Amino acid sequence: MKALVVDDERLARSELKRLLAAFPSVAVVGEAANASQARSQLTALSPDLVFLDIQMPGESGIELLESIEPPIPAVIFTTAYDEHAVKAFELNALDYLLKPVDPARLADAVARTASRRAAVVARTEIPASAASGGEPSWPDGVASDGDMEGKCPGLRQRLSPEDKVFVREGERCWFVELGQIRLLESEGNYTRVHFGDAQPQLFRSLNAMEERLDPRSFFRANRRQILNLAWIDRIEPWFSGGLLVHLRGGGQVELSRRQAQEFRERMSL
Amino acid sequence: MDIVANSLSLVRDTTRRERARGRLYVLCQLGGWGSFMLIQLTVQLTYSHVISATESARSAADLACAQVILVTTGLLLTHGFRPMMRRWGWKHMSWRMLIPRIAVLSLTASFFWTAAVSGYLHGILREPWPLEWPWMLLMACSWLNGSLLFGAWLGCYYFYHLTESLSRSEVERFAMMSSVKEAELRALKSQVNPHFIFNSLNSLRALIGEDPQRARHAVTQLANLLRYSLQSGQQETVPFEDELRIVKDYLALEQVRHEERLRVRLDIDPDTLALPVPPMLLQTLVENAIKYGISALPQGGEIAISAHREGGMLRVCVVNPGDLGTGEGASTGLGLRNAGERLRLIFGSGASIRLRSAGAAEVIAEALIPLATAPA
Repeated sequence: MKALVVDDERLARSELKRLLAAFPSVAVVGEAANASQARSQLTALSPDLVFLDIQMPGESGIELLESIEPPIPAVIFTTAYDEHAVKAFELNALDYLLKPVDPARLADAVARTASRRAAVVARTEIPASAASGGEPSWPDGVASDGDMEGKCPGLRQRLSPEDKVFVREGERCWFVELGQIRLLESEGNYTRVHFGDAQPQLFRSLNAMEERLDPRSFFRANRRQILNLAWIDRIEPWFSGGLLVHLRGGGQVELSRRQAQEFRERMSL
Repeated sequence: MDIVANSLSLVRDTTRRERARGRLYVLCQLGGWGSFMLIQLTVQLTYSHVISATESARSAADLACAQVILVTTGLLLTHGFRPMMRRWGWKHMSWRMLIPRIAVLSLTASFFWTAAVSGYLHGILREPWPLEWPWMLLMACSWLNGSLLFGAWLGCYYFYHLTESLSRSEVERFAMMSSVKEAELRALKSQVNPHFIFNSLNSLRALIGEDPQRARHAVTQLANLLRYSLQSGQQETVPFEDELRIVKDYLALEQVRHEERLRVRLDIDPDTLALPVPPMLLQTLVENAIKYGISALPQGGEIAISAHREGGMLRVCVVNPGDLGTGEGASTGLGLRNAGERLRLIFGSGASIRLRSAGAAEVIAEALIPLATAPA
C-alpha cells in the first residue's frame, strides 16, 4: 500500500515513518505539513492510505477530507489529545491512533485497512451481473463510457460503487461507499446523501456529483434528485405518464413523463 | 464532588422548606379564619345589641352558632382549593393568567358558600334574617362579601407562592453558578494543556533517535514544566524569575515541535525578576500566543516577551502574529479572562490583563500588576 503521512510537525512525521518502516506492506510515498500540501500530494501520488493529523495550522484534517475529490483513500487519523475528536472517531468506528503512537495499535490499524482493501478488490473483480443478484443489471459493455475516458484524458474517471466519499454532520463523520447511497438530493451548492439512517450533506453540487457517478448505477430522476438503481424497491405508474419509484430503506422519487420514458428505455435494455 | 454535595444539600433544603411551608399554611389558615370569626362576632354582637335589645340573649347564641358554621365551611372550602389548584397547574402561572381565574373561583366558591350557609341557617333552622331587606338582596351582599374574602385569600396564597418561587430559583441559580465557577477555575488552573504534553512526548520520541543530547535536555525541560505546574496551586505568587525560567523551558519544548516555525524574542528588565507574580500567568499568556499565533498559521512567526517597570506597575507583554477575533480559531477569551480575574483577586482592582491588536497582523496580551499593593 502506498501511504501518505500528513502532520504539521516534522518530528511527528519522521517518527511515524520510522514506525511504518517495520511494515513491508506499507510504503510511505510522500508527506505533507499542511492541508494544501496534502491536497497536491493526494493528486500527484494517489496513495492507498493516508495518516492524517487532525489539528494543523490553517485547515484541519477533517476540513481537508471534506474538500478533496472522491474517491478518497483509506484514512487513519492521528491525534495527540483531543477528547472531542476521539469520541467522534469511536462513535463512527473510524480508525485513529493516539500520539505517541503505540506500535501494536499501528499494526492493528494497518492490518485492518489492508483486509478492507482486499475485500473491496475481491468484490470488484466479480463481474457486475453475477454480483448484483436480484438488483437491476445490464449486460457487460452496454452504456459504459469507459472507452470515452480513454479517448478524452481531460475527463475525470467515473467513480465505482466501491469508491468512498467523506461526509460529515456535526460530530459524526462517515466514509460511505457510493453503492450504499440510495438517493442524492440537491440543496443549493450542496448535496444531501441518503444512506442507512443518515442523510448528511456533501460539500459539492449535485451536478458535480452527476459527472462523477456511473450512469449504469445512478439515474438522474429530476433536477433535484439522483437515485441509485440498485436500491429500487418497486415502481408504480404516476400522474400523466410519470412514475413513482419507491426505494428500499425509505424514500420516494417522482419521475415526469419525459424522465420516465428515458428510465424505461434504460431499464428495458 | 462539590457539585454533588451542593445538589444534595439543595435537596435537603428543599424538603425542609417543604415541611416549613406546610406548617405555615396550617398556621395561616387557622389564624386567619380564627381572627375573621372573632371580628365578625365582636361586630355583630355589638351591632345586634343596638338594634334589638330584647332578643339579644337568644340572638347572641344563634349568631355565635351561625359564625362557627360560616367559618368552618369557609375553612373547608379554601382548604379544598389547594388540591384543585394543584391539579389545574395554577402554581406555574403568571399574575396575568391568575387574576381572572382567581376572580371566577372566588365568585363560584362564594356562591355555594352563601347558598349553603344561608340556606341552612334561614331555610332549615328558620333563623330570622338580620335586617328587614329583601332576602335576595341580603344573599347578594353576602355573596359579594364572600367573593372578596376568597379573592383576598387566593391573593395572599399566590403572592406568597410567587415571591417564594422567585427567591428559590434565585438561590438555585447562585448555587449553580458558584459550583460551575469552582469547577471552571479548577479546570483552568489545571496547568499545562494535555495536547501539548502528548505532542511533546511524541516529538521527544522522534528526537531520541535524531539528536539524543537534545532529547535528554528536552526531557529535563518537560519535567521542570510539569513539576512547576503541579505545584502552582500551592502558592499565590512566585518571583517573576521562576515563572520566566519555566516559560523558557516551555518555549524550548514548543520549538522542538514547531522548529523554524517558532521564533522567540525576549526583552526582560533585570529589575523585574524579583517581583511577585501569580504562577502560570505568563505561561498562560505565552500558551495562548502559541495556540492562536503559531499553531494556527502555516508559516509560523515570532513570539516577543517583554517585562518592564512602569509607573508603579509591572508591565508584561506577549506579542504574537495573527489578528483578534476573526476566523474559526478565534479565542473565546475565557482563559485570559480567568487569568485576569485571578490576578485581580490577588493584587486588587489595579491589576489587569488586556488583549488588543497592534497593527494589521499582531496581537498583544498585556498584564499590568501594581507594585505597591503587591503582597510581600
